[in-house]
Amino acid sequence: MFINYLKIALRNLWKNKGYSFLNIFGLAIGICCAALIFLWVEDEVNYNSNFADSNLIYTIPSNQKYDGQWRTFTQATPGPLAAELKESVPGIEHSAKTWQSDFLLNANDKSVNKSGWYVDPEYLDIFKLEFVEGNANNALTDVKSIVITQTLANQIFGKNVPALGQSIRLNDAEEFKVTGVVEDLPNNVTFGFECLVPFRNFELENPWTKEYGANFATTFVKLSPTANFETVNQGVRDFVMDKFEEDDTVFFLHAMKDWRLRDNFENGEQAGGRIQYVKLFIIIALFILLIASINFMNLATARSEKRANEVGVRKALGSDKRSLIYQFITESVMTTLIAGLLGVALIAILLPQFNMLIEKQLIMGWDDPLHLLGLFTITLSLGILAGLYPAFYLSSFNPVEVMKGMKTTSRSANLIRKGLVIGQFVISIVFIISAFTVYEQIQYVKSRELGYNKENLLRIPVKGDIVKNFSPIKQDLLATHTVNHMALSNSKILNAGNNGSGLTWKGGIDTEDILISYRYVSNGFFETVGITLKEGRNFSSTIAKDSSSAIISESFAKLMGDDSAIGKTINRWGDSYTVTGVAEDYLYGDMYGTSDPVMFINNHSEARYLYMRVDSTADLNAAINQIEETLAKYNPAFPPEYEFVDSSFNAKFQSENLVGKLSQVFALLAVIISCLGLFGLSAYTAEQRKKEIGVRKVLGSSVVNIVKLLSADFLKLVMIAMIIAIPAGYFLMNNWLQDFAYRIDINYWTFFIAAAMAQVIALATVSFQAIKAAIANPVTSLRTE
Amino acid sequence: MIKITDLEKYYATEEVRTIALNKLSFSVKTGEFVAVMGPSGCGKSTLLNILGLLDDPDGGSFMFNDIEVSGFNERKRAELRKHNIGFVFQSFNLIDELTVFENVELPLIYTGVKSAERKERVDAVLEKMQIMHRRKHFPQQLSGGQQQRVAVARAVVNNPKLILADEPTGNLDSSNGNEVMGLLTELNEAGTTIIMVTHSEHDAKYSHRIIRMLDGQKVTENILADFKSSERPLTTEGGTLTPAEVK
Ligand SMILES: Nc1ncnc2c1ncn2[C@@H]1O[C@H](COP(=O)(O)OP(=O)(O)O)[C@@H](O)[C@H]1O
Ligand SMILES: [Mg+2]
Repeated sequence: MFINYLKIALRNLWKNKGYSFLNIFGLAIGICCAALIFLWVEDEVNYNSNFADSNLIYTIPSNQKYDGQWRTFTQATPGPLAAELKESVPGIEHSAKTWQSDFLLNANDKSVNKSGWYVDPEYLDIFKLEFVEGNANNALTDVKSIVITQTLANQIFGKNVPALGQSIRLNDAEEFKVTGVVEDLPNNVTFGFECLVPFRNFELENPWTKEYGANFATTFVKLSPTANFETVNQGVRDFVMDKFEEDDTVFFLHAMKDWRLRDNFENGEQAGGRIQYVKLFIIIALFILLIASINFMNLATARSEKRANEVGVRKALGSDKRSLIYQFITESVMTTLIAGLLGVALIAILLPQFNMLIEKQLIMGWDDPLHLLGLFTITLSLGILAGLYPAFYLSSFNPVEVMKGMKTTSRSANLIRKGLVIGQFVISIVFIISAFTVYEQIQYVKSRELGYNKENLLRIPVKGDIVKNFSPIKQDLLATHTVNHMALSNSKILNAGNNGSGLTWKGGIDTEDILISYRYVSNGFFETVGITLKEGRNFSSTIAKDSSSAIISESFAKLMGDDSAIGKTINRWGDSYTVTGVAEDYLYGDMYGTSDPVMFINNHSEARYLYMRVDSTADLNAAINQIEETLAKYNPAFPPEYEFVDSSFNAKFQSENLVGKLSQVFALLAVIISCLGLFGLSAYTAEQRKKEIGVRKVLGSSVVNIVKLLSADFLKLVMIAMIIAIPAGYFLMNNWLQDFAYRIDINYWTFFIAAAMAQVIALATVSFQAIKAAIANPVTSLRTE
Repeated sequence: MIKITDLEKYYATEEVRTIALNKLSFSVKTGEFVAVMGPSGCGKSTLLNILGLLDDPDGGSFMFNDIEVSGFNERKRAELRKHNIGFVFQSFNLIDELTVFENVELPLIYTGVKSAERKERVDAVLEKMQIMHRRKHFPQQLSGGQQQRVAVARAVVNNPKLILADEPTGNLDSSNGNEVMGLLTELNEAGTTIIMVTHSEHDAKYSHRIIRMLDGQKVTENILADFKSSERPLTTEGGTLTPAEVK
């Protein structure tokens, strides 16, 4: 029986090659699309899942109340917290404080820059790493020990050369002994590393980390398997409250499985994160599959007359409805299986492109049972989804009527077909609208006035002797005229952090609990980054003279009163500063929000970044060579590193860029698949009305009239789709935009352009068939009857 | 074998109500060959469809092997049909996508005959219909007469008790028509009951009895030949119909 069905299915596919191609191609695109999306989803959902006990591992973020609002800091705990929590809160089995850093590693005549972490030894009890050499029990007990990844070991010491016991010079200072080599971490981990060094080293350089007072560390804890999350969470909360005797700081547990997908907090509450995009893309994948399956349904029911006779005969020969349904579903599943094979080819071709687009290295595991099962499931369910309705429709034909040659296409089937076409185009148009709106929103935020000039601005991490040799570096580079200004700072200009409250001043709003960002900069900072001074004077080049001066941002000045802030005094932790200048506000941290007030202090002893303003007329490559040479001269131990501020600015919009790019791709695909269906339907209509067209032409109808006649019905459908899609798109996009504090107003033109685009594409698709039919010689079409 | 009493069938299409069968009654004995004649539109096809359990009457009674089948649902009708009834249509109604062999094989598939036995039986019947050499061809590659022979082969492959033929020679020239009539007569002589709708007096002469219809009613009956009911076992057992034993 089954063989019989397969034969019929294949012969039908072969006999109607054109329609089969449209169906199979559309389904294949759908399958490929869905497979790529699900690969991405898998990667996102499996973030950190490589770690054993991933359900027991947490970080400790804090909620802090400033000016009546809770703010969440995900990686900022005091140094002593880790050890004390483990001591005092039952259920916490292990804890470790950590600090991420860049390291310069020198060994074996090689010198490489790698990112790594200073970690407490218990880190290895929390994250059960796979040791290739050495073992977890004592790897970090010795202060001068270092654990490196397999790749790093190979890079420094060579393949198959034992790294254990070898010595590596760290940051051009002390020698560290390799006490462990661990397997590389996969790409999809939140806190990756290439080397681990005992936290004690960081503590020795920064004794303040031993005290409460500065929130800086990322603290990891691991609960005992029997511990109750709620109890431990409450325990952490209570402990910290007792400690600070305040209720405006709350520490809590953030589960490992949420680090990637649920890391947004609003007023202290977890408020989604990438999980929203994951869900969104799953929905998009399903919609694409739906659009592809609609093509199949529509072509199957439209062309049902071709199959009606067979249904009648089979019923007369004793087939019941159920086995006919089974037969037609076998057929649709067959079709999707063929589409699945084509889809596999498409995936193989497109995955590298897709990876480039989403900046990941996803792998389709052709030998991974999960992936194959997934692909098979997509294909099979698509086959059933596409086949179900036609199967019920075709199998319900009455053999008596069919064999009398009565019209089999019922009005309800026609209506459903029209409805489905409308559905396809509603989805497509909504996708186009979304793609446009997302693009506009991203452009809007990216072109937001920053208050400084991010172009041609270079950021160099401070290492080795850069601060010490700041003056000669500056002199040398300014002399070349490729660099116009340079300055040191303790913070990245784009980022928040380095902030605190408890400042007092006379006049204005006396709010001690307003969060103020501190920026320790060298003189020349404002010229370098391009922040304008509104009032007062810049920092002088003699630091001593300015050690108690402060330049504050405009929003800070407003807090101090309506009159000029110049000359006023700010008290901070016992020191007093005189305001000598007011700078215009600039944007940092959350690119959608309003940035906190800033206090600039003229002190670069703790600088972490060197900023350079490259001359806008200079040749960039030459300038960079120049800079690298100069850095190599004055800081020879460290290979020169730099980053352009505008590229880090773009990197801040990673999720948005991803959504932007993918929405464009999917909108395009949705339109293509829908048009494949429309192409098939219009071809079929033209074929069916061949005789009518012939007669009309003989009677004197013009080609234009016939094209109009044939296209009008379809265009009406697209028009209706447009009417539904516009409000739907508005609703969706309005909703999406609500997540952004800084957002565009929805532009109606976008909608009409999107809808018009769909209309034009549909018109082109339909009229191709219509014109073909209209210019055919009427004699041939009439003679065939 | 068949006994219909006061059979009624209406068609209601947008305000017009057609009476296709109007209190029609007659019976057919096992082994009989009956021809049904009458002008176009008098209800012959409707009658045949009801007798073939493709359609349900709106009134009256239809006893098939002493079982009242007029209220049967589609499932039960299909079950009964596939074991007991073979169809031959005017327009052959072969499935274009299946070869001659596969078309003939179809009823056996639906009655669940094993593949090896199917092959044997299909080959036998194709041999008998002298169409064996065309077994791998598709219907469109055959002449009308050949197609109808395939259709007859398909109708008899399951050894049905009853063959219903709706104008089986309607689309054939006279020599091909006679050939098909010959086949039907052979089958009848071998014991199969046949009810045939025809417009041709010539073809009707092959039967034992002609029922003439007009406007959904029986007008006359002509007995052409003496028919003695053969006492072949019926497919009844304890009052319920069971699938015929297939050899
Ligand atoms: N499905 C149907 N719907 C409406 N009227 C029908 C249908 N089938 C048959 N009829 C009508 O019923 C009558 C009998 O039809 P039919 O049995 O096909 O006649 P015959 O086969 O004797 O030519 C005719 O008047 C025909 O128009
Ligand atoms: Mg008829």
